[in-house]
Amino acid sequence: MNGHQPRTTAAARLSGLTKRWPGFHLGPLDLTLEPGTVLALVGPNGAGKTTTLNCMAGLIVPDEGGTEVFGAAVHPDRPDYRRDVGYVGEENGFFQRWTAGRNLDFMAELLPGWSQDRARRLVERFALPLGKPVNKLSRGNRTKLALVAALAHGPRLLLLDEPTAGLDPVVRAEVLDVLWEITEDGEHAVLYSTHVLSDINRIADELAFLRDGQLVLRTGREELSERWRRVSFRLQEEDVELEGVVEHRRVRAEHQVITRDAAATLQRLTELGAEAVEVSRMSVDEIAVQILKEGHHVARAES
Amino acid sequence: MWHALRAELVYFRPWLLGGLGIAAGVGALLMGIIWFVPDADGTPGFLPEMFLIIAGMVVSFIAQSYRWEERRARLLLAGPLTPRQLAGVTVLLPACLVGLAALAALVKFGLFALVTGNFELANLGFIGAFTGEFLGYAQMGPLAQEATAARRQGRGRAAVLGWTVFVGAVLVLGATMVFRNAIQGYLGQLMVVVTAMAVTVWLYEGRTDFTR
Repeated sequence: MNGHQPRTTAAARLSGLTKRWPGFHLGPLDLTLEPGTVLALVGPNGAGKTTTLNCMAGLIVPDEGGTEVFGAAVHPDRPDYRRDVGYVGEENGFFQRWTAGRNLDFMAELLPGWSQDRARRLVERFALPLGKPVNKLSRGNRTKLALVAALAHGPRLLLLDEPTAGLDPVVRAEVLDVLWEITEDGEHAVLYSTHVLSDINRIADELAFLRDGQLVLRTGREELSERWRRVSFRLQEEDVELEGVVEHRRVRAEHQVITRDAAATLQRLTELGAEAVEVSRMSVDEIAVQILKEGHHVARAES
Repeated sequence: MWHALRAELVYFRPWLLGGLGIAAGVGALLMGIIWFVPDADGTPGFLPEMFLIIAGMVVSFIAQSYRWEERRARLLLAGPLTPRQLAGVTVLLPACLVGLAALAALVKFGLFALVTGNFELANLGFIGAFTGEFLGYAQMGPLAQEATAARRQGRGRAAVLGWTVFVGAVLVLGATMVFRNAIQGYLGQLMVVVTAMAVTVWLYEGRTDFTR
């Protein structure tokens, strides 16, 4: 571990990060990630998640703004920040015809701070077949290899671009377990892009919703699950105005709503004299889907 | 940088050995044919050596294609390399591959001279000329790649410069064929190789996207 910086330094700080491609505009993004946090970057395909992570890893140079990792500016010309960054993307640049073990040997010489002991423990934990060429490894094993390569030099910030996409449930659970263990010491931070929303429940402390290149909402996971509820009730009134409701379905007098402010909605229902009120919790992934589906106005109201 | 370059050379060694093997086979076949053809003078000239050097150039194009496809920049940028050092690997790899092939050509030339006692100094000069020529062509791949990347990344002037140097370099390499095995030819080839390498490094350093 590279514990050179004081604990108060942000693990990552994005300031006005902007990148333009033909037909796509990311940012300006402002985001701070504290050590000990797992932040899930959630958004549909094309929202800008991968571009954000690539900018943070120094693989893409932003048009404006920038990123700091533990106080060090991210720029390809100044590679010092890379000691603190572990990156797992969809493609990781391995020598495809070399075995996993040979690739790790190469990385061990390339990366300062590489710990053979840490690498060996991760390899054993993941049961990674070191003798197989990378191009013969399954997708799950390639992800495991990328994780070992990203973690063995002891980075304090882990950037993961859809690491569990396409993995079977057992491997996914293993990967998430390791990520969870990494952040236990409060020194490491993980920024995790995903559209596998079930992963969020497992490890994310916070969620950042990205849509059309804009950060539309950042919130704590617990906060979300405390406020959002699915409520069903009976009420004869047709045009009922309810505080915080983002989705409303009605069949005759039977109503079902999704609210982002359960307390306010329930209070209003009491005032209106609603009957047979039933409240059920929503999982974080259900809420995330709702936010992404409903778009900017829900996110703005949440903010 | 040297660690990365060495790894790339080791990685592409099977291709290089395979390429040299095929070239040596074709060369041997040619020598055999010439040897037995009535009225031929019994010497295949510099063609077997030329095949070996061509093999090095072809392998350099293969290596460039694989590195692009495997997105090697992503891997190397996990380590403490700067874009200039990455560019160094990109331009030195083809130079090394052609250089090693030229070395093989020299060994073949030497062995042949030893066995037959026929030492053709002019052929040695042609080995040098072909090495310069194919070193130049081997550098055209990375140059074209970086000029294309510059255009994709919206660096229009850099792309124009890259393609201008590319066209100019190909023309100069064509012209050097007239002066093959003469000082003007060698100088022209040296100029092409050095210019192409410098411009490729400059274009690479200006990249805004290292995901490939």
